[in-house]
Amino acid sequence: MKSATTLKISISGARGIIGDSLTPQLAAALAQAFGTYVGGGPVLVGRDARSSGIMLAEAVVSGLLAVGCRPVDVGILPIPSFLYLTKEVRAAGGIAVTASHNPREWNGLKFISRRGLYLTPQQTEEYLDIYHQGAFDFVAAGKFRTIEVLPRAADAHLRRLLNRFDGEAIRRRRIRVVLDCNNGAGAVLGPRFLRELGCDVVPLACDPTGEFVHPSEPTPENIAGVCRAVKTARADIGFVQDADADRLAIIDERGRPLGEEMTLVWAASRVLEKTKGSIVCNMSSTRALDDLAARHGVKIFRTRIGEVNVVEKVLAARPRAVIGGEGNGGVIDPEIHPCRDSFAAMGHVLDALAAGHKPVSALAGALPRYVLLKDRIEGSAERAHRLIRVLRKRYEDKGTVNLLDGLKVDFPDHWIHLRPSNTEPVIRVLAEAKTEIRARRALAALRGEIAAAWRKI
Amino acid sequence: MLKIGLSGVRGVVGPSMPPTMVMDFASAFGAFIDRKPVVVGRDTRIHSPMLRAACVSALLSSGCDVLDLGVCPTPLLQKAVRRRKAGGGVSITAGHNDVSWNALAFIGPDGSPLNPFQGEEVLDYYHLGRFERAAVDHLGRLIPVPTAETADFYFKELGAFIEAAAVRAARFRVVIDACAGAGAPFLVRFADTLGFDLIPLNDEPNGFFPHDPEPRPRNAAQCASVVRAAGAEAGFLLNSDAGRVSLVSETAEALSEEYTFPLVADSVLARCSGPVVTNNSTSRMIEDVARARRCPLIRTRVGPAPIFLALAQEDGILAGEGSGGVAVPAFQPAFDAFLTMGLVLETMAKTGQRLSALVDRLPRYHIVKEKVYCPASRIHGVISEIARMFRGRDVDTGDGIRVEDKQGWVQVRASGTEPMLRVVAEDRSRERAREKVDEILRSLERMIP
Repeated sequence: MKSATTLKISISGARGIIGDSLTPQLAAALAQAFGTYVGGGPVLVGRDARSSGIMLAEAVVSGLLAVGCRPVDVGILPIPSFLYLTKEVRAAGGIAVTASHNPREWNGLKFISRRGLYLTPQQTEEYLDIYHQGAFDFVAAGKFRTIEVLPRAADAHLRRLLNRFDGEAIRRRRIRVVLDCNNGAGAVLGPRFLRELGCDVVPLACDPTGEFVHPSEPTPENIAGVCRAVKTARADIGFVQDADADRLAIIDERGRPLGEEMTLVWAASRVLEKTKGSIVCNMSSTRALDDLAARHGVKIFRTRIGEVNVVEKVLAARPRAVIGGEGNGGVIDPEIHPCRDSFAAMGHVLDALAAGHKPVSALAGALPRYVLLKDRIEGSAERAHRLIRVLRKRYEDKGTVNLLDGLKVDFPDHWIHLRPSNTEPVIRVLAEAKTEIRARRALAALRGEIAAAWRKI
Repeated sequence: MLKIGLSGVRGVVGPSMPPTMVMDFASAFGAFIDRKPVVVGRDTRIHSPMLRAACVSALLSSGCDVLDLGVCPTPLLQKAVRRRKAGGGVSITAGHNDVSWNALAFIGPDGSPLNPFQGEEVLDYYHLGRFERAAVDHLGRLIPVPTAETADFYFKELGAFIEAAAVRAARFRVVIDACAGAGAPFLVRFADTLGFDLIPLNDEPNGFFPHDPEPRPRNAAQCASVVRAAGAEAGFLLNSDAGRVSLVSETAEALSEEYTFPLVADSVLARCSGPVVTNNSTSRMIEDVARARRCPLIRTRVGPAPIFLALAQEDGILAGEGSGGVAVPAFQPAFDAFLTMGLVLETMAKTGQRLSALVDRLPRYHIVKEKVYCPASRIHGVISEIARMFRGRDVDTGDGIRVEDKQGWVQVRASGTEPMLRVVAEDRSRERAREKVDEILRSLERMIP
């Protein structure tokens, strides 16, 4: 079997492995292309807390300078703060050095438009054309701009957040929160934000050193240590941010993880209690969101995987979207900024907690709930594509087949989904049902089908 | 426009010198350094931050820790390399070239520019084009070094090397034109070290050069007029990284940069004797000075690499070139304008003589220098045609051609930094020197339309 490539350039940006595929030269060339694409002007350069971030940020700065841009160094910043700031300071664009939840040997670049949004697929195409053609607008020696350093860059986002959430109601509850930043970029803002909301914060791994204390993806199996800490600290709730602080996992007062899927369900539930409007989520987000939409009598839109797709629909949805996101713990509150934002998610959950006068376990128990199982198979996107062509025929007369992104099949009591990852050379496999037994059975059946098809392709 | 040489890469910033190319070079240097720490500094040119960022990124990726000095004159960086026992250094500066140029100058572990063998090794890595990359756990760390720390160490050593007390007692008034370059932030510190009254000129380190950063009379008008107006005892003109210096006498005469080296040489050789190294386009003045002090003189090809190689191989005690660069290895094997200025002031203080009088004691030669554009592909052909003009004479072909006679010499060679031919003649008589150069220029006109 061919070995999978360690470099991925897609609508999610560029990702690669440090010391291997992601070199300073590549980062500089991508920055040159982006700087050429935005046509000069101030471009924010930020990074998550990974130790390789400085090396790549310097490369990005050199590429931007060479094409006449004015790099604005914002240092380590949570990605939602970075996106918000790009719009707020009217920059021409932004480049964030981050590989979100990928393991520590990975890093990457994300490209952000002047509106503070990830480039759309079409914009990405235009900008990658410049990269591939090498058509960089290098400026003459006399046209160079200076580097600006922006200290306390998270402040703008913090002010917006505090504006959005009713500080008084939350403050009265004196909620005791265990916050685990996993030494990621969230540490720059997380403890401050919660203290400003009057929470009693028990910080865990809140040094933005990039030295992860557990694998960065905030799945229940990765955050067992935090769960114990919530119990020990007798906290009301535990929050776990991923490395770039766009996703959030929640732990109840008994130290049990709610599961990533529940973050969006809870935030959406709270938002819909206050404001009516549509929900936007991707195809592999939990069915609990459909139940919630039905409960509140609002529309739900499902998009292809990828934050950019969800955001685009959030901006375009009619009736207007009041909440959006992904099942992986990424909550989008368009009131604040159309991007996944773990701080916005915390705000809504704390707001619900303050209003509910019940413990987390009780409030979460009242929400619709399914069991979603996620699995992965090593394999390229190409292989996934061939797999889907074979499998869709197998499922056509058994359930409702959806080919918007990979292969999704809806059955009355469960669904399955198979698609290539946008960020890694793996094929993601999901199954969701009301009970764990049913979900396991659905996943096992799907894996059986895959194994049978694998030999044919 | 780009020149890749043994001591680094130099070019006009723009399409021909993109960050990726700077990174390739820094990566090659990183491979040569092999994961030891590297000291990085830059001059004040507005594109220097671009080269710095590219260079730092590539070095970190090669697994080298980077000690970032920020804006720093090359001689201070060279001291820092030795003090911190670094594997080497990179100085981002095009020295005397005009504002559109920049360069990476590579410094070896001994604090001197790379010698030709080291330079060849770096070039081999560069041409190979495949660079070792450190995995995430072995990436270099970026360590900012405060300017004060670099300056403290350097000026303490300088104050101990120069007889500061003598200079202090003389209470000189001195004009220094830093040309808005890397030397600018260190002028006050330098004046405090030696205790003279400083009149700083162009001392904002903003990279907007008020004149070409080449220390020579045609750039010294402002400095000379301030010397006159202030009644200063000396004026100094620095290049953009404070490696070279030219002098303005107390009579406000802007002296040729050729005087710097022989003037300092006389006082250095008075202290101790040993081999002196220079290149073969430097004035004959140094020959007379060395002979009078009974010191052997070694001439090398032009460029820092051959000079510092000879200095090390021959255990030289002094090196210099006609462009105003002087190195005293007992202090450090580096062209160092601060040291040079200090030695000039020390000589004035100890002899009690004015700068114009010290210059008058030197043997008088006249140097005429011209440069002519020549496409890189034709340089060697043109030089061999010129060589035929001197058939029957003793032609030294070590670097271009150089022909000596009783009164002086004439030389034609390829520039190390630009696609130019340099034509230099020196003679006891100004007219003869001019005539030697003109003769060659006339022939060149025929050869290069």
